[in-house]
Order: sequence, then structure tokens, then C-alpha cells
Amino acid sequence: MFKRKKTVDTQVLPYMKSKQRRYEALVHAFHADIYRYAYWLIKDKAVAEDIVQETFLRAWRSLDSLKDNQAAKAWLITILRRENARRFERKQFDTVDIEDVSVFDETMSAEQEVQQRELRRLLASLSEEYREPLILQLVFGLSGEEIAAQLNLNKNTVMTRLFRARNQLRESLEKDDALRGRHNG
Amino acid sequence: MDELEFRRRVYANPDTTDAEVVKAAQQDPGKRAFWNEQKKLDRDLKQAAKVEIPDDLAHKLIWQQSAYEFARHKRRSRWYMALAASLAFTIGLSFTLFTRQPLNLGNEVLAHMVYAEDEQAHSAVPVDLRQVNAKLASFGASFTDMIGDVEVVNYCHLQSVRSLHLILNTQQGKMSVFVVPNRDDISLPDNFADDRYHGQGVHMQRASIMVVGHKNANLLPMLDNVKQRIQFST
Repeated sequence: MFKRKKTVDTQVLPYMKSKQRRYEALVHAFHADIYRYAYWLIKDKAVAEDIVQETFLRAWRSLDSLKDNQAAKAWLITILRRENARRFERKQFDTVDIEDVSVFDETMSAEQEVQQRELRRLLASLSEEYREPLILQLVFGLSGEEIAAQLNLNKNTVMTRLFRARNQLRESLEKDDALRGRHNG
Repeated sequence: MDELEFRRRVYANPDTTDAEVVKAAQQDPGKRAFWNEQKKLDRDLKQAAKVEIPDDLAHKLIWQQSAYEFARHKRRSRWYMALAASLAFTIGLSFTLFTRQPLNLGNEVLAHMVYAEDEQAHSAVPVDLRQVNAKLASFGASFTDMIGDVEVVNYCHLQSVRSLHLILNTQQGKMSVFVVPNRDDISLPDNFADDRYHGQGVHMQRASIMVVGHKNANLLPMLDNVKQRIQFST
């Protein structure tokens, strides 16, 4: 029995090491984008981080099923969406409003910072059906087809949603400008 | 391309390389301006979407994976340990129970015979009655008369039971006589045999006698001989 275990170990160790390396590469390559996607989907930092942790743990457990490294991004997005859906099955969390989250980038001017905060507020205010495809495009640079495949929609629906999302953003920005103009004038 | 379709395509993807969109923009400065404006907005949006990543998120993700793997491994080895421990316990317990059974000395005697075969007399001088009785004394017994041509008399241990072993030359080849003290935790079979030897036992007042000889030897004369000549002190 011990002899057998030993021979298995000598096979298992290099396998575990290469799996470990592959996992770490996956983490480094995608954790930032996956977190941002989770954040915009959930609009809560702590919950987003939890979901990202669960996503990567699940990814580790089924890493062997990821045959094609090119598909890693889509694969992770799929896992994350599933984990997020599972969260709703369990319990609805209270999410913090996006405006409570302040993000400072010291290289930005005050004006840019105001604009960025405004854009974030507007992004967060989009309904989920518009926000999600837009974030997939902005964060991961996915094409219309890829977003359609990910969200299980047809491409035209995705294009329409992207169009409406941007249209809404633009209208809101124009409204802001008009308001600001009135204040200034 | 009309204005609405142009806007629709640019809104859907400001980074589009659609030839028709490009051509329409080249022909119409108004469309070009709109597109550039959208590209700028998109850059800003991309920037805005880049929220700050929690400190050390990558390390946390790698750490939680190793912790998970470690816990899993530990669980697994704990399971092995539990199994090994319970096996060891079971073996230990059954061994103890098994050995607490009364010792059956028949097989012990037969095993002993194999070694006794090679045993040499300690001296060329034949063993006399006095020597035999001196050793028998510790069993509270003595022979009234010599029981035959005793070649060797010696103590031996049958499964930790101290016994006296006499090897005799008889007309039927070598025979062994064992004198074994009576004890509660040992049992002596009346008859026992393997493929080379067989033996017969008799229980007496303070000790048991076993006579062992080659397979075809008649043991009864020797057994009677010993029974008649052995005496136990009271």
C-alpha cells in the first residue's frame, strides 16, 4: 500500500506543480479584469471580492477542464456569472450605492476626477441588461459575438443594448452639461 | 448611410473598423466629429470602468487556493490516519484476544521436534537417573527407575511454558518425552500429529506427559513406561 502511494506521488507532484503554475498565471492575467467585471455587475466591493474568490477557487478545482488557454477569459466570465447567479439563489445582499465608493487616482486633475466620478455614477445607474454587455465590452474588449455568446443572446440584441447604453450615457451627460451651463450662466 | 444607422453602429462599437462607417465618416465632417466624440467618451468610460483592485487580490487568490489544497490534503491524510489507527487497534485487539486463548502446546511440541532432531548430547557419558531426577525436581516429580536410554535431558520453553524435554533412543528410533507443568492457561491435546511426527499426551496429578515419536512409532509402551515410573511428591 505504501509502495503504491509513493509511485503515485512521484507522478502527482510534477502534475500538481504545473497545475499550480498554470493557476497562478491565470490569476495574474485575469484577476484585475475579473474583479472589475464583478464589481460593475454587483456594485459592491466586498461582495465582488467574495465572488471573485469563489470564482477562482472553482476555476482551480476544474482547471483540468480548461483545455484551450485562449478560452480562459470567456471561461472565467462564465464561472463568475454562475457564481453570481448562485448568490441570488442563496440570498439577496444589500449593496452599497456606487457613489459611496471613492476612487482616487493621484495623477488625475480635479476636473478629470469629477468627470470620472460622474461617469462611474452613470455607468452604475444603467440597468443591468445595458450595463453588463457594456462592461464586457469596456473591460474585456469582447466583440458583439463574444458578448452574445456569453450572455446567451443573439448578436443584434447585444448591439441594440450597447447602442442604448451609450445613448443613455450620452443623454445623461448632455443633461448634466445643460444643468451645469445653467448654474454657471 | 443615414445618420441613424451611422450612430447605431458607432454606439454599438466606437472602435468599429466597419468599412461603411469609415467611408461615411470620411464623406461627412459632422459624422466624423460625432465619431471622434464617441471615441473619446469610450476612452473615458474605459478609464472609469477601471476601478481600483483590492490590495494584494492576486496573492489572496493564490493563497486561498493553497489553503484549500492544504486543507483538502489534510482531510484526506486524516482519513488515512484514522483508518490506519483503527486497523492497528483491531489487529492489536484481536491479537490480544487470540493469545488469551489457552495455549495449545501440541503444535509447539511438533515445531520443537524439528530442532530437537539436531540436538547433540552434552557429553559422551549417558545421562543417569540422578541427573534426570535433579531436573524433574522442579516439577515436583521424580522417576523411580530409569525409563530407558536417555540421551538428552534439558529444559525447553514451549510458548513460554518451561518444560522438561528428554530424548531417548528406543527400538523405534528416537522418542521425546515432555514433562509440562499443569497450568490454567495451557491445554494439551491427547493426540497431535504433523507429516513427520505424532504425539500422545496424558494428564497427571501435577504435570502432563507427552510422548512424541516418528510417524509410525507406537508410543503407548513409552507412555505406560513413563506413567508407571513417575512419582509426584505431595
